[in-house]
Amino acid sequence: MWEKFKFLEGLPFRNLGTKLLFSFLLVVLAGGLASTVIGTRMVGDTIMAEAQKKVRHDLDSAWMVYNEKLNRIQDVLHLTAKRDLIIRSLMGGQVEILRREMERVRIDYGFDVLTITDKNGVVLTRARTPYQAGDFQGNDELVRRALKKEIVASTEIIPQEELAKEGPELVRQVYMEFVPTPKAKERPETRETSGMMLKAAVPILDFNNNVLGVMYGGTLLNRNYEIVDKIRDIVFKGERYKGKDKGTATIFQWDLRISTNVKDKSRLRAIGTRIARDVYDQVLENGRAWIDRAFVVNEWYIAAYEPIRNIKGEIIGILYTGTLEEPYTDIRKNVIYSFFGVAFLGLVLVLFLAYFITRSITRPIGELAKATEVIAGGDFSHEVSIQSKDEVGHLAISFNRMIRTLKVTMEELYVVNNKLQDLNRHYLEMVGFITHELNQPMGVLKGFLILLKDEALGPLVNSNQKQAVSTMLRNVNALINMIQKYLQLGRIESGRMEVNKVRMPIFAEALSPILEDEKQQLEARKMEVVIDNEEAFRRAEGEADPVLLRIVFSNLIGNALKYGREGGKIWCGFKDEPEELLFYVKNEGQGIPGDKLTKVFEKFTRLQGELERRRGGTGLGLFNAKEIIDRHGGRIWAESEEGKWANFLFSLPKGGGGE
Amino acid sequence: MEGRRKVLVIDDEPDLVEMIRMALERQFDVVTAYNGKEGVDKARSEKPDAIVLDIMMPEKDGFTACRELKEDSGTSSIPVLILTGVGEHFGRTKYAKASGMDIEAEDFISKPVDPNELLRRVAAIIKKD
Repeated sequence: MWEKFKFLEGLPFRNLGTKLLFSFLLVVLAGGLASTVIGTRMVGDTIMAEAQKKVRHDLDSAWMVYNEKLNRIQDVLHLTAKRDLIIRSLMGGQVEILRREMERVRIDYGFDVLTITDKNGVVLTRARTPYQAGDFQGNDELVRRALKKEIVASTEIIPQEELAKEGPELVRQVYMEFVPTPKAKERPETRETSGMMLKAAVPILDFNNNVLGVMYGGTLLNRNYEIVDKIRDIVFKGERYKGKDKGTATIFQWDLRISTNVKDKSRLRAIGTRIARDVYDQVLENGRAWIDRAFVVNEWYIAAYEPIRNIKGEIIGILYTGTLEEPYTDIRKNVIYSFFGVAFLGLVLVLFLAYFITRSITRPIGELAKATEVIAGGDFSHEVSIQSKDEVGHLAISFNRMIRTLKVTMEELYVVNNKLQDLNRHYLEMVGFITHELNQPMGVLKGFLILLKDEALGPLVNSNQKQAVSTMLRNVNALINMIQKYLQLGRIESGRMEVNKVRMPIFAEALSPILEDEKQQLEARKMEVVIDNEEAFRRAEGEADPVLLRIVFSNLIGNALKYGREGGKIWCGFKDEPEELLFYVKNEGQGIPGDKLTKVFEKFTRLQGELERRRGGTGLGLFNAKEIIDRHGGRIWAESEEGKWANFLFSLPKGGGGE
Repeated sequence: MEGRRKVLVIDDEPDLVEMIRMALERQFDVVTAYNGKEGVDKARSEKPDAIVLDIMMPEKDGFTACRELKEDSGTSSIPVLILTGVGEHFGRTKYAKASGMDIEAEDFISKPVDPNELLRRVAAIIKKD
């Protein structure tokens, strides 16, 4: 899997430290990001789960408040129905007394409705103007059960016509037009005319326990905020968050808010609005509780909804409690910020540490690199001082050992080299001495041999004598040639060669004297020298040391003489190139094999072995020529077509160059 | 031409002087000297038609001798041919001066000396007069 990190090698880091630091950063960022994401998710989930648990609990508390109210109605009716005055008035048919007493009770306990029927369920009197009577209530489920001596209480839907019987102002209290609600489920109706009532019914029994009648009554929930505000005050203790009620409660009649302390945008109770479609489906259609975050009117709440059922168990409405989500999201936000804060602090800390760790790794390597450079510069006196026990430490130890070994080796080499240089100098001095000493006698020998051969000192009397003199002369010439080359070599090798450049006509100063000197040799070998482009060559001027350049031409012409075909041609030429002057000496003959074209310029190279040695080749002429041309800043090379010709070319930079 | 011309050969090497003498005697009378001092004296006394002068000599070298001869009005008109060292091939022009050879000589010939060439050169500088 480490191949995956190869990409780090591809990044354009200038140094190891940055690379390591970047790697550390990458690891920390990845780890920090992962733990932050997971951590905040976990914490957020936990917070929300806690919030939902609390809302569930709040809803249970709300039910207690709701049911307590219902029970209270039932208890009041129950106690009232047992009062002597009620029973005797009923038995005595004293409706007037009954009505008066009932109305007192209704007002005392804040009921909207209080009614007494006879034992057949026909209304005897109502405790509310206009005190309508005579209608049959026996079809009402609660009344029906009370007639069977049951004491019952529940939430019930009261149709408009029933409300009208109880009291016309109740019709107005419940009448509610729907406020358009975007997320609500479509309904054909546009208003609500019936009411929802906490209703109880109890039997009125005579002293023999026979049913005299039924007392029923209750409180409308429409526009009645007692319960929801009580829930808010008891369950949520009236807490507020940023000017908003932290807890809210609502009673829905079917999907319509009829009692609530959720506020709309104009800070009014949001009655007349309807419930969101998904809650509708879950709670009203399927009868299940719904606990989740919900957008209630215009704020996000963590909400709990449960169906309100009537005595028959039919769903008729919803009880809701919700707590503002904002405090929880704020907590979650804080936690996330804290997480990021901690992660950032960690990052800084890690980078800080990483910097020092990286430094401790790269510093020794940098030191090694520096030391290597010093050594590369030829200084072996510095060792690195790295104390670490890891691979770098080992490397440093090996490195120091290498330096010591190198130092010793270099010192030995230095000593050996000095010895060799001494030897070479002695050798050159000896060669110089010998050749110099040989020079004079050879000159004398050559002169006399020429005089003899030319019979200037008297006639040679037979062909043997003539041949002997010729052979001696030839050998003396070879010796003289050799001596000349060694003298040049001695000068070049001992570093005594001085290059005194002057601007001069090359042809007249360097080539012409040589051709003159070699005239006899050329005639002897029946060779012809052709000057290419002669007019321009004679005009050509260049910067060179005349004496040294003569040596070059002498050696090249000498070579052409020695190795050229007898009776062949030698071409000398010149070319004016943009940057340099180019000269060549070309001869017909055997030529040079392609793989020897550079080798001929090495010291003591003889191409044709024995033949060349007999011709007096020293293996030094081209070497000397190359040394001289190098010192002039020029180039020298050979070209050839084997069996046909060989060409030696050299260049001199224009405007001096070199020394 | 009234009689043979006279050439003075100055060189410290007797064998070489002998060789040069033999080479030149085919055409000229030859007088010899074996060092610079003797050479300058003989030039003054013998009034030769040409001088062949070696550079490397003890007592008084060729440079000095040549300068003295050229500075002396009695000998300054005598043409001088200089014998130079091996491999130096000094030319016959002002560029020889640039190479460190600041001599007002009429001609140069490099060692080893070809007797025929020498004869030709000596003849040439005498004819110049």
